[in-house]
Amino acid sequence: MSATFALFGVLIAPVLQALFVLALQRPPGLRDVMHIGFALATAICAARLVGAAADGEMVRIALAQPLPNVALAFVVEPLGALVAATIGGLGFLHAVHSAGIVRATQEKAPARLMAFMALASGATMAVAFSANLFTFFVAYQVLTLCVFPLVAHRGDEEARRAGRTFLATLLTASMGLFLPAMIWTYAIAGALDFQPGGVLAGRVDALTANILLVLFVLGLAMAAMPPLHRWLPESSRAPDPALVTIQGVAILPAGGVGLIKVAAFVFGPALATAQFAAYGLIALAGVSMCVAALIALSRQDVRERLAYSCMAQSLAVVLGVLVALPMGLFAAALQIVALACSATTLTMAVGTTGAITTRRTVADYAGLGRVMPWTFAGFALAAASMIGMPPFSGAWAKLWLITATAGAGLVWAAALVGAAAVLTFAHLGPLAANTLAGKAPTDAFKRPDGASILLAAPVILSAAATLWLLVMADPLSSFLAPIWSDGR
Amino acid sequence: MGAYVELARAHAPLLMMSTAFAAAVLATLSPPRVSWVIACGGALLSAVFAFDLALRLLLGGGEFAFLVEAVALETDGVTIFGAALLSFASVAALVAAGAQLGDYEKRAAPFALALALMVQAAWIGALGARDLIGLFVAVETAWLAAVALLALSAERSAQNGAMRMLSAGGVGAALFLAGAALIYHATGALDLPRIAAAHIEMADAAALGAGLIVLSIALKAGVAPLHEWLGAGFSRANGLAAIVIGAVGVTGALAVLVRLAGYFAQAPAMGDGVSIALALLGGASVVIGSLQAVGATNLRRLAAYAGAAQAGGILLCVALGSPAGVAAALIQLTALVATALALFGGAAAGGVRTLDGLDGLGRRAPLAGAAIMTGAISLMGAPLTLGFLGRWRLVEAGVGAGWWWAAGAVIFASLAGVFYGGRLIERLYFRRAGEVYLGGAGAWRFATAPLLIAAIVVTMLGIAPGLLLQAADAAAAHLLGAAA
Repeated sequence: MSATFALFGVLIAPVLQALFVLALQRPPGLRDVMHIGFALATAICAARLVGAAADGEMVRIALAQPLPNVALAFVVEPLGALVAATIGGLGFLHAVHSAGIVRATQEKAPARLMAFMALASGATMAVAFSANLFTFFVAYQVLTLCVFPLVAHRGDEEARRAGRTFLATLLTASMGLFLPAMIWTYAIAGALDFQPGGVLAGRVDALTANILLVLFVLGLAMAAMPPLHRWLPESSRAPDPALVTIQGVAILPAGGVGLIKVAAFVFGPALATAQFAAYGLIALAGVSMCVAALIALSRQDVRERLAYSCMAQSLAVVLGVLVALPMGLFAAALQIVALACSATTLTMAVGTTGAITTRRTVADYAGLGRVMPWTFAGFALAAASMIGMPPFSGAWAKLWLITATAGAGLVWAAALVGAAAVLTFAHLGPLAANTLAGKAPTDAFKRPDGASILLAAPVILSAAATLWLLVMADPLSSFLAPIWSDGR
Repeated sequence: MGAYVELARAHAPLLMMSTAFAAAVLATLSPPRVSWVIACGGALLSAVFAFDLALRLLLGGGEFAFLVEAVALETDGVTIFGAALLSFASVAALVAAGAQLGDYEKRAAPFALALALMVQAAWIGALGARDLIGLFVAVETAWLAAVALLALSAERSAQNGAMRMLSAGGVGAALFLAGAALIYHATGALDLPRIAAAHIEMADAAALGAGLIVLSIALKAGVAPLHEWLGAGFSRANGLAAIVIGAVGVTGALAVLVRLAGYFAQAPAMGDGVSIALALLGGASVVIGSLQAVGATNLRRLAAYAGAAQAGGILLCVALGSPAGVAAALIQLTALVATALALFGGAAAGGVRTLDGLDGLGRRAPLAGAAIMTGAISLMGAPLTLGFLGRWRLVEAGVGAGWWWAAGAVIFASLAGVFYGGRLIERLYFRRAGEVYLGGAGAWRFATAPLLIAAIVVTMLGIAPGLLLQAADAAAAHLLGAAA
């Protein structure tokens, strides 16, 4: 399979997945085969692109030329390939899991749910491989519009309100902040291409760089940077498969990728000239991490708790990006991978639990690990990774993050990262421990046969993925090195 | 045969207007369904002439050399671009009218079709008018035809809307005549090319005159805050009248405004004043139109106010006075036509008036729902739509001229678009139907389909806009070159 074909594949396969799922709604088995089959094809194509990026192959496709000098184009580069491979693999597990969930919950519109999940996956791939700011903006908007139906899927007043908040926040931020920043960048540089070394390097004064940085960071509201974070907790009542898409395999990773692309390919060394704004945003992100982790501690609904927990983890990506050091960008990239693995595992585990036991609150989780050992083993591993406990992937990301912030002389920021990790332990550690150590409930299952393999296997497999950074950190460092090279 | 075709092509500027007039006359003499066929044929023939001219001159790089006609015509780039746009909108509206003839009494239907053709022909005439008197006659003819079309609706409330339009038109006509008199007093000329080239001693009078004429046309284009007639006119119109006034009438007025501004901008004594007036009016229209659209509860009012916001963007482009600005205005004009067709056409096809009526329409009438959704995302300025392209070109031209505030106005319009456009999409696809589907019955209801498909396709031209950009650039360069 050529790399160009694989790049087309990761972009087209999810669209075909959506079409086939909608067209072949009955029998459900055929629908699920299509859903899982195309997700697997997407994952295989994404894996092929990792090889292409590692070999330094130049793969680029341009679909249209909507503006003079600006193409709707996609290119394979290491960051995009890494994120695509991660979310492609997790997306396959998610597809298997969602096939199980819609059966277990007797979902009323499963095909619509699956179709929009597939489209969201395709849009996330487009975000990851976008070749310029314009393409990124298009993919970002498409992703927003594809996830909106997932948030509003239930159709009741609460879901519609969450959908409105989601759509209004993300579109307003992108139109009101990101778009002006993009236009301004175009006016300064005459181009919007993502290029190592940054299109703004040497072309922007300190004031402009500071303003642009604030516009870009806040404009990328998918990263859940306060004050534009309300959409994340509001959307926590979405159906469980949608929650996996939002927190694990689409929205939060897309926000993180956008931040890294902007820092590395738009600013480059010019990020150093925006130090004032960067430090302000680091302080905001660091404090918000701790506050989000504290709020999570106060939430008794597990899905709300996870939403705030994921927000804290996503802000760690923001923090890593803004440190303006290669080490910080590397930490941010690792954090995206770690967050994707952990959040996907946790939300799938919560989904499985909800579908099988209808239990949703922290108190109700006590002892469930004894009757659902695979699911809660996965839950515990992912929680450990989210907390930052070695040897799971979250630990390496946080270690690099603390090293990067301390290396930049921002000891207070490193302390905030540490404090957030402690607070994450406080809201996830006892919860995970209690599920395994508590007394097993006697009437746990709503369904007499418990969780099917479709519901349990993806959880444990994605939890296993949180271990892979243990052996991959060093190779990943050289794999991602072209991102922060200066383009020479 | 070939010789006749060449003869017709040589007289194309006159024929694209006169075929529509002739079809209008024939339509009034025929039974309803026959008159519909005649009206569609006439509009189509007019469109063939207009598109042939555009292909030859704007895309083919041909010479703008026309025979001298018996009427005072001056064909420039914007005339050709605007005529193509108007005839496209008119063909779409008249084909869709097949589904809406039942809205009229049997005797009134042929007259309604004839009036729709009159609106098209008269605005094309206004676009090609060589002097201010010809322009006045053409504009008033178009306006009165639109008023009559609205008044023909069976509903009594439509006649109130027509009265509002008539009153507003009267004010506009008075402003125009006063402006023309002042310009003649200051320059001694009524010919547009001569006005542009005139050595003007009484600069203030000339600038005031030009400003009054701009105000008069802006009023007829529904530019805020001169759009008092807009809400009443649209919300009370039936399907055909709303599509014709919204997509043909408003577009014609805006195209005339672009053309006039191109001529006035070339006269040093008037250029700056006209530019400031257009910029102020444009900025106000963007803000007022957007805010009113956010608060609208009637779909047609929402579309009309959103159109006012888009019209404001067009005025901002024109105010720049540069080829890039005029080209951006023409792109935005194309976006406005597509959006108007999508929203008014979708509303007519779905039998929808209030926003509540949109609930669940995406399932009940998928094509109408898709058209309204496409219009909504274009109003938001979503990427890959013409709405985005037009705004991008405005920002590009504005930033190039140092007009950063224009970029701010565009972003404000997009943000407001997120609210009212998002509301439309939510109602279409995420609410359950609260009303019975009121779309037409029988096979005739499919007559609206070409309009809806055309609106979607044109809106999505933002994906590959090469030819459109080339045509707009050529039209703008020719207008400013011809006027200079």
